[in-house]
Amino acid sequence: MNIIKKIFKVREMSSFLFLIVLFLLVGCINNSFLAPTSLLNCFNDSVVFTLLAVGIAFVILTGEIDVSIGSTLGLSAAVASTMLRDGSNWAAAILAGMLVGALIGFVNGWGVAVLGIPSLIFTLGTNGVVRGLSYVYTGGAWVENLPASFTRLAKTKLFGDLTMFYAVTILFVIAAHIILTRTRRGKYFITVGDNPAGAVMVGLPATTTKIVAYVLCGLFAAAAGMLYSSRIGFITPTAGSGYEMKAIAACVLGGISLSGGLGSLIGASIGAVIMSSVSRILVFLGFSSDYDNTITGVLLIAIVVIDAVSQNRAAVKNRHARLAARAGVPVEKSLEGGARK
Amino acid sequence: MKKTFAGQVLEKIKSWEFVLLIILILEFVIFGAKNPKFLMPNVLLGSINDIISICIISLFVTFVMITGGIDIQAGSIVGLTSIIIGVVWQDGGMNIWVACLAAVIAAALCGALSGFFVAYCGVQPMVVTLGGSFLYSGIALLISKMSATQSYKGISGFPESFTKISSSKLFGVIPNQVVIFAVLTVIAYFLLHKSKYGRKVFLVGVNVHAAEYSGINSRLVILSTYVLSGISAAIAGIVLTSYLSTAKSDIGVTFTLPIITAVVLGGTLSTGGKGSVIGTALAALVIGFLRFGLPLCFKVNTQYLDIPAGLLLLVVVVGRSLANHPKMTRFFAQRFSRREKSI
Repeated sequence: MNIIKKIFKVREMSSFLFLIVLFLLVGCINNSFLAPTSLLNCFNDSVVFTLLAVGIAFVILTGEIDVSIGSTLGLSAAVASTMLRDGSNWAAAILAGMLVGALIGFVNGWGVAVLGIPSLIFTLGTNGVVRGLSYVYTGGAWVENLPASFTRLAKTKLFGDLTMFYAVTILFVIAAHIILTRTRRGKYFITVGDNPAGAVMVGLPATTTKIVAYVLCGLFAAAAGMLYSSRIGFITPTAGSGYEMKAIAACVLGGISLSGGLGSLIGASIGAVIMSSVSRILVFLGFSSDYDNTITGVLLIAIVVIDAVSQNRAAVKNRHARLAARAGVPVEKSLEGGARK
Repeated sequence: MKKTFAGQVLEKIKSWEFVLLIILILEFVIFGAKNPKFLMPNVLLGSINDIISICIISLFVTFVMITGGIDIQAGSIVGLTSIIIGVVWQDGGMNIWVACLAAVIAAALCGALSGFFVAYCGVQPMVVTLGGSFLYSGIALLISKMSATQSYKGISGFPESFTKISSSKLFGVIPNQVVIFAVLTVIAYFLLHKSKYGRKVFLVGVNVHAAEYSGINSRLVILSTYVLSGISAAIAGIVLTSYLSTAKSDIGVTFTLPIITAVVLGGTLSTGGKGSVIGTALAALVIGFLRFGLPLCFKVNTQYLDIPAGLLLLVVVVGRSLANHPKMTRFFAQRFSRREKSI
C-alpha cells in the first residue's frame, strides 16, 4: 500500500511542480505575471474547468469516460437561469439545475454500467440529445437578464482577491478527495477503475460505483453550469460545447490515467488551472491567443507520451526485477540480456 | 456444408447492413411521402454536398476503430487541409494542384504523428487524438494568420478547374461528390475486406498479441490506419473547400461526433475487431439524409438535429446491447428454433 501511496503523491506532485515551474518561467519573462492578483486570477478563472475536471475525474478513475458534460453544463445552466430570470425561488432554481445534471448522469451511468455499452459511444449519444434539448428548452434564444444579485455572487471576494466560488470549490474538492482516499466506499472508485474484474470478484458493487460516479459527474457539471451563468451573466444554447474535451485534457494534465484507477481529484484541479491559464500566459508572454490550441495540444501530447513511455519502462524494469529475484540474479544483469522492449 | 440459397438470404437479412438498408429505405419512403420534393434527383443528389465530408472520413475512421483505436482529430485535419490549400495557393503562389498535394502530405504526416504515438509509445488513442485535435486546429489557425487575407473571411477566388471538382456532374446528372464517395467506398471495401492488409487490420483488432506472434508488424498496421484516416480527411477537406470555394481553418470542427456516430452506427465495435465499410457507408448516408430530410420535410429547425442523430445512436447501441443480453438471446433462440421446426 505504501508504494501505491507514493506513486499517487508523485503523480500529483509532478503536475504541481510543473505548474510552479511554468508560472516561474513566465514570471521570469514578464514580472507582472507573478503579482498576487494576477496569480490568483489564474486560479479564479479556472473555477468552471475545475468543477468539470473534478466531476469527470470520478468517471475517469472508474475507467470510463463522459463526453456529455459540456452539454450537461449548458442544459442545467439554461434550466436554472430561466427559473431565476422568471423570478422563482433561488433554492428551487438551483435544485432544478442540479436535478437535471444528476438525471443525465444517471442515464449515462445506467447505459454504461448496466447495459455495458462503451462509455464513449453512449455519452456521445446523450451529448447530442442533451445539446438538442437545450435548444428546444431555450427555443434557440439566449437566456439574459439574470437577477443582479445572482451575477454579483461571481464577484464576491473573500480574503483579498480570492473569489468565493473558487474558495468553496476548493473546499468541495478537498472534501471529495478525502472521501475518495480515506473512506471505504470512496476507495471503491479507484479500485473499480484499476481492476474491474478483480473488483467484481472480491464482491465490490462495481455497477453501483460506476452509476454513482456518473451521477457525481453530472452534479459537478451542473454546478459548473450555475457558476458559468453567474460569471458570464447570460446563457447561449451552445454554452459549454467543447468543454468536455478541455476537461478531459485537464485531467490528463493533472496526472489522471484515462485507463482508470490512477490519479486524484487534486491532480484534476491542478490540471484545470494549467489548462485555463494557457491563454492568460500567452498574453503575458506577448503572443496572441491564437497559439492557445497549439500549446494545449503540444502540452497534452508531450505529457501523455512522456507518461506512457516512463510507465512502460517502469513496467519492464519491475518485471525484470521480479524475474531476477526469482532466479537470484542481480537486476542489472537481467536487464542487459533483457527483451527488446 | 454448402449453404443453401435461402440460408444465404436469411443470413443477409439478419446482418446489420440489411437493417441499415431498411432504415435508409424507410427514410426515403417517409420523407418522400411527406414532401415529394425530397425524391427529386437534383435535390437528393445535391444534398450530398452537406454530408460528403462525414461520409468520406467515416469510411477510413472505420479502419482505425477496427484496430481498437479511435480518431477524434479528423475534423481538425479537414480545417488544416483547407487552410493549407488556400495559403499555399494564394500566398505561396503555387499551382492549385500542388497546394492540394501539399495538403494531402501534411494531413498524412499529422495522421502518422498521432499514429506513431499510439502505436510505438503505447499512449491511449483517445488522448493522443484529443491532443492532436487541439494541435492541428491550432496549427491551422496559425497558418491562416500567415495569409494576407483576414482569417475569418476565408480565402476565396479559386480557379475554375478547382471549383469544378464539386460543381461538375458525371453524365450531367450525378454530382462529382457522389462519384468520389462511391469510388472511395469501393477502394475502402477492397482494402479492408479483400486484401491482405485488411486481414491484418482485423487480426490486430481481434488480438494484438496473436497478430504479433503470426509475424504481423502490428505497430506499423496501427500507424497506417491513422495515416489513412488523415488522408481521407484531406480528401474531404479538398472537396469541401472546392464546394464552398472558400478556404477556412475551422470548417471541420463540428464533424467529430457525426463521424464517430456513423462508424458506430455502421456496426463497428469500438473495442475493435469487427466492422465493415459497407455498414459505415450506409450509416453515414442514414445520418446524412436524416439531417437533410427532417428540415426539408418536417420543418424541423436545423438546431434540433442533434436530437434525432443522438437518439438514433442511443437506440442502436441500447438495442444491440439488449439483443446480446443472455436472456434475450435465449428468447430469440427459442423463437427461432420453434419456427424452424414448424417449417
